[in-house]
Amino acid sequence: MAEQAVAGPTTAGRPDFSRVSWPALARYYRGEFSAATANNLAYRGAVAIWVVTTVIQPLVSIVVWRTVAGPGGQVSGYSSAEFVTYFAITMLVEHLTFIWLMWEFEYRIRTGSMSPLLLRPIHPIHKDVCDNLSYKVIGLLGVVPAMVLLVVGFGGDVSDIGVAQVLAFLLALLLAMALRFVLEWVLALSAFWLTKISALNNLYFSVFLFLGGSFAPLAVLPEAVRAVALVSPFPWMLAFPVEVAMGRRSGADVLVGYGVQLLWLGLALLLLRLVWRRAVRRYSAVGA
Amino acid sequence: MAGPLLDRVGHDARIVATYISLGVVNLVQYRSDFVLAVVNGLITLVTQLLALAVVFGQTSELGGWSRHDLLVLVGVHFLIGGLIGLVIRPSMETMMEGIRLGTFDFTLVKPADSQLLASVQVVRPPALVDVAIGVGVVVWGVGGRGGALSAGDVALFLLTLLCGTVTIYSFVLALSTMAFWFVRLDNVLAIFQSLFGQAGRWPVTIFPGWLRLLLTFAVPLAFAVTVPSEALTGRLDLATTLGAVALAAVFFAAARWFWFFALRRYTGASA
Amino acid sequence: MTAITVDRLHKTYTVPEREGGLRAAVGSLVRRRTRQVRAVAEVSFEIDHGEVVGFLGPNGAGKTTTLKMLAGLLHPTSGEARVLGSTPWQRERSYLSRMALIMGQRNQLQWDIPVLDSYRLNQAVFRIPDAQFRSRLDELTELLELQALLRKPVRNLSLGERMKCEIAGSLLHAPQVLFLDEPTIGLDVAMQRRIRSFVADYNRRTGACVMLTSHYMADVEALCRRVIVIHHGRLLFDGGLTDLVHRFAAEKTITVELEESRADDADLARLVGGHPLERSATGISVRVPKAETARVAARLLAELPVVDLVVEEPPIESVIEQVFDAPEEQPSGQEVTGG
Repeated sequence: MAEQAVAGPTTAGRPDFSRVSWPALARYYRGEFSAATANNLAYRGAVAIWVVTTVIQPLVSIVVWRTVAGPGGQVSGYSSAEFVTYFAITMLVEHLTFIWLMWEFEYRIRTGSMSPLLLRPIHPIHKDVCDNLSYKVIGLLGVVPAMVLLVVGFGGDVSDIGVAQVLAFLLALLLAMALRFVLEWVLALSAFWLTKISALNNLYFSVFLFLGGSFAPLAVLPEAVRAVALVSPFPWMLAFPVEVAMGRRSGADVLVGYGVQLLWLGLALLLLRLVWRRAVRRYSAVGA
Repeated sequence: MAGPLLDRVGHDARIVATYISLGVVNLVQYRSDFVLAVVNGLITLVTQLLALAVVFGQTSELGGWSRHDLLVLVGVHFLIGGLIGLVIRPSMETMMEGIRLGTFDFTLVKPADSQLLASVQVVRPPALVDVAIGVGVVVWGVGGRGGALSAGDVALFLLTLLCGTVTIYSFVLALSTMAFWFVRLDNVLAIFQSLFGQAGRWPVTIFPGWLRLLLTFAVPLAFAVTVPSEALTGRLDLATTLGAVALAAVFFAAARWFWFFALRRYTGASA
Repeated sequence: MTAITVDRLHKTYTVPEREGGLRAAVGSLVRRRTRQVRAVAEVSFEIDHGEVVGFLGPNGAGKTTTLKMLAGLLHPTSGEARVLGSTPWQRERSYLSRMALIMGQRNQLQWDIPVLDSYRLNQAVFRIPDAQFRSRLDELTELLELQALLRKPVRNLSLGERMKCEIAGSLLHAPQVLFLDEPTIGLDVAMQRRIRSFVADYNRRTGACVMLTSHYMADVEALCRRVIVIHHGRLLFDGGLTDLVHRFAAEKTITVELEESRADDADLARLVGGHPLERSATGISVRVPKAETARVAARLLAELPVVDLVVEEPPIESVIEQVFDAPEEQPSGQEVTGG
């Protein structure tokens, strides 16, 4: 209901979000966000289950790397306690940055529910942004306590985290959220060309697991893998904010990091424009 | 007394055989899914091998398990994952969808064991790819460890594998049975999938006490993956073997009881 | 010979009472408020072998609940039922093997495998001997023209083809009792007619007892001499289809053909007592309350140059509509005739 009320003033014309005025867009976001929140609350059981699943991988990584480091030992500059902190923060960043649309797009196209989204006088990405933000805000209610529990339960080391680190982290986190959203949204568009996308998604997540830093901190990876990671967009979506929070990057290093994040974000947006236009053209040509 | 029971078992066996054989006969239907399963299986395999490489780049053993021991475990993990994906998971997903859409009623009006019908209703042959990869990796790992396996080891492995599969099946069945109460929790199996996929590929022995208990008795991954792997790596003792058998029996009995409890509620018999 | 006996069957559901909002949701975790909803109230009837009975009622009247109890899917709150000598909800395999439930809106064939393979599954489940399986399959294939469909996966069939295959699959074990819930829903008219004639034929050949619900009165008119009407969970009528019309039709239509249509409007209105009137090229037709039919007809015959006069019952649809529109307080007990 809220959707219609907000979409009303902008109805004339084809999908072209450059023409939407900022106040109208702001109103649209408010409406879409509250609609998504109402939906998430109605399905709170399902949301809770997804949140539980995000805890599992960091938990396992903590157990594995603590075992490798052993009590009092170190692995490539990480002690057991620092591994705990690293993966606890990774969980938070992972929750706030990941999106699920690469699976949803296949469903949207197969069932034809993509068409109504294209008919609305606003770019569909805005709806996805709202849905994501809403889910993430609600999910924080579970993820933040889980993060605290991990740190306390496994004796994480948070002595290096101060106000400066937290502030620097927040900016890196915001840029990571934007970058990963845009990049994975473009990846999701592959569903316009491929009917079975599971292999592509599987490959993407495997690469992300290592190069993004979710399986192990970059410092622990073999030299060659780390070198590849640093010239890829992946660590800037996950490992970088975590390292900033832990105080492992400081000063100019952080600023350079922001710069790299912005650079990748710009490239990703460019890619988005390019691919989206072709995707819509293909969709209308195939008439799916 | 034995007559009717034997008759029932024969009927059940016939039903299972028919479902499985039809799945196999229809392999061609799944040709593109097979290709996809091979690609996905290989990606997952490479990912797991890389993970092992990263870990063993820093250490020579993980909680007493060598690189080749863990390779065996990865193989067993594939094997069990394939068995779950072959019948158990697709059937359970279909059952939960059926409860939501009302088609589950058709399962109940058939003159056969309802739990059995619900549990074998969908066969997904592409999952056999994972089973094959699993067998290959197990052989690779066992070969890499050196030393021969005795027939006894293999028998113990098969026994514990069977028990582990029964235990996991019972757990997933009980989880899915909750759909009778919570129709909207159709992603409840995601918790199991995530735990199995993430925690299941490491030996349960590296987890701290409370988590180990959780993964042994609450979400029984230990007996599904770790214990059969122990049988192949010379770590399995008699007590654990008996424990695996007992746990399988207890889980199966409990899941079956819960199933009929849920059905009584569904049909309004207990209201 | 009685196939189905239903004796004061009663079903009450307990449903949770939910309010919107987070607070109500949290509150409901602590204490659930529930409400009793009566779906079927003290329903009794008997159906003989070989009968085809239409089971009518508006949405939510209790039809599906009753069918589910008779198919063994639901336990009643109270009351008894015997179908083929068994109590359905005890779900004895011997009973389930002689019964079939077909629901037009729900599929039971496997989506990805050929139709014939789904049939083989039924063969294993219902323990149909090979020879019988083959002969029944041949017969059903011919009657429903399934030859071209058996090798196709279900997902490639049209709705009508799928329904034919569903029906054939449910009849392989030669059930003696058939519960058909909206078997023709969503099908085109030709396919509806096919299914109808098939059901009639199956009933004739096997003597199976059929209980049918449908929103299409054409199904009921073609198949059922007897109907049971249920409304707000109560039995409203049990008897012949023509008796239903007699009992509940409040009006009749009188159509008159005239020698010459010279009578003026005011005159005509007086003659028919002010009831709604329609003129046609050859005469007039008027809808009058049942009680006044004879009087109005006599007046028309006396005062107009009538060539022909026909008195008709209204179409069954409009009668049914009228019955269903009735409020809950409608007399129930005394309207019921013996089954």
